[in-house]
Amino acid sequence: MAEPLWQQCLDHLEDELPAQQFNTWIRPLHAERDGDALRLLAPNRFVLDWVKDRYGEQIITFARQQSGNGALRLVLEIGSRKRAEAEPAPSRPAVAAPGPRGDEPTPAARGAAGRRSNLNSNFTFDNFVEGKSNQLARAASRQVAGNPGVAYNPLFLYGGVGLGKTHLMHAIGNMILAQRPGANVVYLHSERFVADMVKALQHNAINEFKRHYRSVDALLIDDIQFFAGKERSQEEFFHTFNALLEGQQQVILTCDRYPKEVDGLEERLKSRFGWGLTVAIEPPELETRVAILMSKAQQTGAALPPEVAFFIAKRIRSNIRELEGALRRVIANAHFTARPITLDFAKEALSDLLALQEKLVTIENIQKTVAEYYKIRVADLLSKRRSRSVARPRQLAMALAKELTSHSLPEIGDAFGGRDHTTVIHACRKIQELKETEPRIAEDHANLLRTLST
Amino acid sequence: MTLRVGLRDSATFANFLAGDNAAALHLLQQGGEPFVYLWGGQGSGRTHLLQAACHAESARGGSPAYLPLAALARAGTAVLDGLEQMSLVCLDDLQAVAGQGAWEEGLFHLYNRVRDAGGRLLAAADAGPAVLGVQLADLRSRLSWGPVFQLQSLDDAGKLAALQLRARARGMELGAEVGAYLLRRCPRDMHALFELLERLDQASLAAQRRLTIPFVRELIN
Repeated sequence: MAEPLWQQCLDHLEDELPAQQFNTWIRPLHAERDGDALRLLAPNRFVLDWVKDRYGEQIITFARQQSGNGALRLVLEIGSRKRAEAEPAPSRPAVAAPGPRGDEPTPAARGAAGRRSNLNSNFTFDNFVEGKSNQLARAASRQVAGNPGVAYNPLFLYGGVGLGKTHLMHAIGNMILAQRPGANVVYLHSERFVADMVKALQHNAINEFKRHYRSVDALLIDDIQFFAGKERSQEEFFHTFNALLEGQQQVILTCDRYPKEVDGLEERLKSRFGWGLTVAIEPPELETRVAILMSKAQQTGAALPPEVAFFIAKRIRSNIRELEGALRRVIANAHFTARPITLDFAKEALSDLLALQEKLVTIENIQKTVAEYYKIRVADLLSKRRSRSVARPRQLAMALAKELTSHSLPEIGDAFGGRDHTTVIHACRKIQELKETEPRIAEDHANLLRTLST
Repeated sequence: MTLRVGLRDSATFANFLAGDNAAALHLLQQGGEPFVYLWGGQGSGRTHLLQAACHAESARGGSPAYLPLAALARAGTAVLDGLEQMSLVCLDDLQAVAGQGAWEEGLFHLYNRVRDAGGRLLAAADAGPAVLGVQLADLRSRLSWGPVFQLQSLDDAGKLAALQLRARARGMELGAEVGAYLLRRCPRDMHALFELLERLDQASLAAQRRLTIPFVRELIN
């Protein structure tokens, strides 16, 4: 529960401010009471400045009134409360088990930035599904994990997004830790390295930064393509990298492409990346995608029939992340409806996801589709002609426009050659009636609906 | 000065009329999925659900942040700093920054930081992840990390029910006939309808008249 005085402020502000402003600027604040100070913590400088400028006066005036303490001061700081205070979610669905985030280090364990391993214990070799596309990368990773600093140094994994680079990287780190529990294994994203360095420079702590990164047993840096164009970071990383290699400490890097193809990366870095082993991960082939789905479903305790796994795997080829997203959507629906996952069920659950164009239907789009379907011109639909061959399609198009868009009836009438809204009402009624009496119209309607909504 | 009684229209899960979106609503209420993506047309309930999620997160002692990106696009990405400390981050109107390099990279890093910190991220836009126009593949794939839901607009019966629900919350009675009249004559997206309802509310207070078709006709013409 929020600090009591702040809770009163919240209730007051929620009444006073538009919902968007309240949710954007006031809700993220965390309040603490400290004698005569009402301390508000904002997640960043931007929010802090905004709140101070726009709402500071209003907040302190109200808080003084409520508390009867005229000496109350408002103190704004950047920071956050300990997340651990929050209660757990009311109930966790079965699908929430090992998710994309899995077992993360608890906030308490995070402590001082840069002093944590950050390894995700959920990513292991055991739950990495092997296939032709990643065999080599997996084998190399196993070797490195077995002989860190010796086998291949650096190990450079590259490939497109969502193919399992990060998974392999964590798996190596976890295995090193399992073999040598005291080992200092550090995983971080390249952005974190850059941010830490910038912070160290600002606080005159660059020597500590260097010492820290050079003292690790294994340094795992993800997505090094984001070093591109950041010269100072590359310079610092270059020296760290050399020191680690000299000390036979393991370096593992991932990148979305072959090192030589990263623009904005220094040549000397590119060439050093090739000193160890560079290995690609390719997009998984169908069988592997099926195996991945089955494995993920099993992890979450969902019963996924193989034919459903094939259905999903055939349609989502791009990467594992999207494959997993689709599976989670199917499982979420199954959980909600308490129905078993069948082929039809999966098709229904994923109908919007698998739609070729995940875009909204427009009146224009409806007119075009209806005209094509009846082999007439869009101009005919908009014209004054009233022959049956044009009038029926026009009525059907109007009915679909009402069904599938949020336009008002006058707007729909306008879009059909400036017709009155009563004409649209008439068209909708007529089509409703015909759908019941004329199978042909019902069929046309169903076909068009399918074309337009997939 | 007008007396403000029970006029707060705060979006909550309880005052969301689910229609065909019950599965999405259920999932959000449970709050177990770390990443969820919602998309749909104007007035399909994206913003309502995001703000309701923030409301629920506050109520259970969490720390939510709501970011209307259409309004923040020009302010720059500094607003994303440190958001991984929040237990829930809601990104609304992603389409407003899709295709902008700095924003895409900023959001990509935010996704990673939220994942590493164990938080939740709820995103909403007017189109699905694949056709949103996001250039950075790393971000595009992350948008599909968790379940993706297309929010279905309410049908006319649902819209009428939503209007009546909102009207009751504001202490006014909206008859079915009057509601149906509004739906025939006015833009049928929920934003516009709710705005109209607010205007009607004020007008009926000012004129001390009930909402009848003749009264409403006067007002909207």
